[in-house]
Amino acid sequence: MVTVAIVRRAQMEPNPQREKSKTKTFARSFGADLFGVLLLGAFLFLFFNFDLFKGDNAWVQLPDSWVNVNTIFLSIVIEALPFILLGVFVSALIQVYVKEDTIQRYLPQNAYAALFPAAVLGAIFPICECAIIPVVRRLIKKGMPLHVGVVFLVAAPILNPVVFASTFYAFRTEPTVLWSRMGLAFILAIIIGAILYLLFKNSHQLRESIRSKESSHTHHHTHEQSGQPGQKLTIFQRVKQVMYHTTDEFFDMGKYLIIGAFIAGVVQTFLDRQLLLAIGSNEWSSTAVMMAFAYVLSLCSEADAFVAASFGGMFTVGSLVAFLVYGPMLDLKNTIMLFAYFKVRFVIAFMVTVTVVVFSAIMVLQFFIL
Amino acid sequence: MSGHHHGENDHHTDHHHDHHDEHDHQVSSFHAFLRGIILFGFTLLFLSLFINGTISYYIAPKMMPFMYFAFGVLLILSVLQIIRSTSKNEEQDCGCEGHDHIPNKAWKTVLIYSIFIFPLVAGFVIPDRALDSSVADRRGVQLTGDVTTNQLINAEQLSLEEALARSEGKTAEDYLAEIDARGTGGEDEINHLTYDELYEMAGGFDEFYMGILDDAYQGDVITVTDDNFLDMMTVFDLYLDDLIGEEVEIMGFVYREKSMRVNQLVVARFSMTCCTADSQVFGMLVEGEETRQFDRDQWVQVRGVLESTTYVYKEESGDDEEPYEIEFILPVLNIKEIYEVDAPDTPYVYPNFNF
Repeated sequence: MVTVAIVRRAQMEPNPQREKSKTKTFARSFGADLFGVLLLGAFLFLFFNFDLFKGDNAWVQLPDSWVNVNTIFLSIVIEALPFILLGVFVSALIQVYVKEDTIQRYLPQNAYAALFPAAVLGAIFPICECAIIPVVRRLIKKGMPLHVGVVFLVAAPILNPVVFASTFYAFRTEPTVLWSRMGLAFILAIIIGAILYLLFKNSHQLRESIRSKESSHTHHHTHEQSGQPGQKLTIFQRVKQVMYHTTDEFFDMGKYLIIGAFIAGVVQTFLDRQLLLAIGSNEWSSTAVMMAFAYVLSLCSEADAFVAASFGGMFTVGSLVAFLVYGPMLDLKNTIMLFAYFKVRFVIAFMVTVTVVVFSAIMVLQFFIL
Repeated sequence: MSGHHHGENDHHTDHHHDHHDEHDHQVSSFHAFLRGIILFGFTLLFLSLFINGTISYYIAPKMMPFMYFAFGVLLILSVLQIIRSTSKNEEQDCGCEGHDHIPNKAWKTVLIYSIFIFPLVAGFVIPDRALDSSVADRRGVQLTGDVTTNQLINAEQLSLEEALARSEGKTAEDYLAEIDARGTGGEDEINHLTYDELYEMAGGFDEFYMGILDDAYQGDVITVTDDNFLDMMTVFDLYLDDLIGEEVEIMGFVYREKSMRVNQLVVARFSMTCCTADSQVFGMLVEGEETRQFDRDQWVQVRGVLESTTYVYKEESGDDEEPYEIEFILPVLNIKEIYEVDAPDTPYVYPNFNF
């Protein structure tokens, strides 16, 4: 009898809840769909009514300076889009198709000897700056030595064919920038790896508590594909995965590009030229400012060349190279992720090392080579 | 009996599980849908820029293949995202761990998607405009003679006025006398230097620029066009001494700095390497009484005679060092003719990479 009662209860109880949640679900999904459709409608309206805004009697009248901001802003965004898309696509491809074990196999055992090939590896596997930290973490868990992981972490976002291409196009008239960027990235990655090896040897620096995000709510993310990327999925599914991953990373990265481009536009339109020039022509201040800028902007390495190029007339070449080398190695976004994945002491050592090494190298570059 | 209990518990947790799943699914589905729409918005923006030709306000022609590529990819991705949002199953993950692609709070969602919608709205709504003098103010103008107006501003000792005043003493007779002295035939007219003479001047290694210069001659006048604009700036920089007295024709927008005299202006063009953001301003200083009537950003055509002038910057450093002087050599055109023209369809000039 008791059992029956309990059964009855159990059957009755969830029902009203179920009903309520069903309507809520429906209402939510309807609202969401409606919003989406309205947004689409808005875009189509704007598309077909081009003249309303662009002709002489434009609806929207802005002061000229803001129109200039907009011009610079949009040109950076539009210009960078193909490279970001390409970059996240290639990165997604690698993450879906390449087993990390493969990467492991090509490294020599000796700690110092592994530094050089690790940097080369960074060039061979063009993983986007956004994705590199989780990838390196997986690699280290699988046995990659810590310092090698560091070299890879620092080099891969820069020594990347898509980054090469975007830097090439952005600095067509100043090829020094491209070669400095690539050369420095390679050399400095090795130096940074060596320094961190001296400090930490191959100690265990990963944090274990990353489980927080992978709990029940987003459980489908624990679907680790790292171990067996090919075995359970069909080609079709893998292609889909690559495409979805591309889009997701695009939305992760895109917001930084948009913010950064906008800031660049504002700075260039409104900041006093004398001030900018004064800062920009001095080797010390220009480098420091550009590095700080790179840190804060957290731009994707595929796109940062265009933002840097927009400062071409005002800042020294060396400082622009600093922007392009420091940004992919260390920025606000990375820092947050680093603290999430690695131990605090290590992260701080990493940050200090990278900053000092890059700054010194750029000063050497500016005073002796350029 | 215990079997029943077990059954209920499972059933109960399953409900919660399903509820969570459904909610998750709905949330990620909504995000996919929204992203698809935003991507489609970008696709439309690109399409609109292509169709209306306004893409040239933002991107150099050389980069167009990349733009078409981006357009194609955006279209494909947007369609895929919309399909993804309609799929019923859980197979939507990207297989990545550690970072949740979907923002977990409502205000974050609003903020993030607003960031993406912003450039779309800006792109559709805000008028396109070619860059103008106000930007040149920011960036400085690269004058031929490898000097920028930035440098001139920084060199405070002598104002541009004072320096250029030195060149005022010369008259037309002086020019001709100079040319005679150089022995280019001793005629009364200004000669077109032959290709061989030009070639000799350069010592043979700058065939490229000699070729450009040679092509630029139309009759006796060196004509600066959209195509050769940037190269000609370099030519004037490299071979100024040899070209003094030549007649030059150039077109551009009017730019003035405060430090310039009333009878001076710069005839300038914006160059674009890949996109507007990296534009530099290039121009030539021209001088003549007629300049007074022209305002900034008016487009003018100028024909004048090339000559050089020096701008001296005296540095007096406090310590033990000797004060030193830097001489900037500036080409300047003495105006024969100047008149207003319509703004060209292609306001920007592009470098030719024909090395």
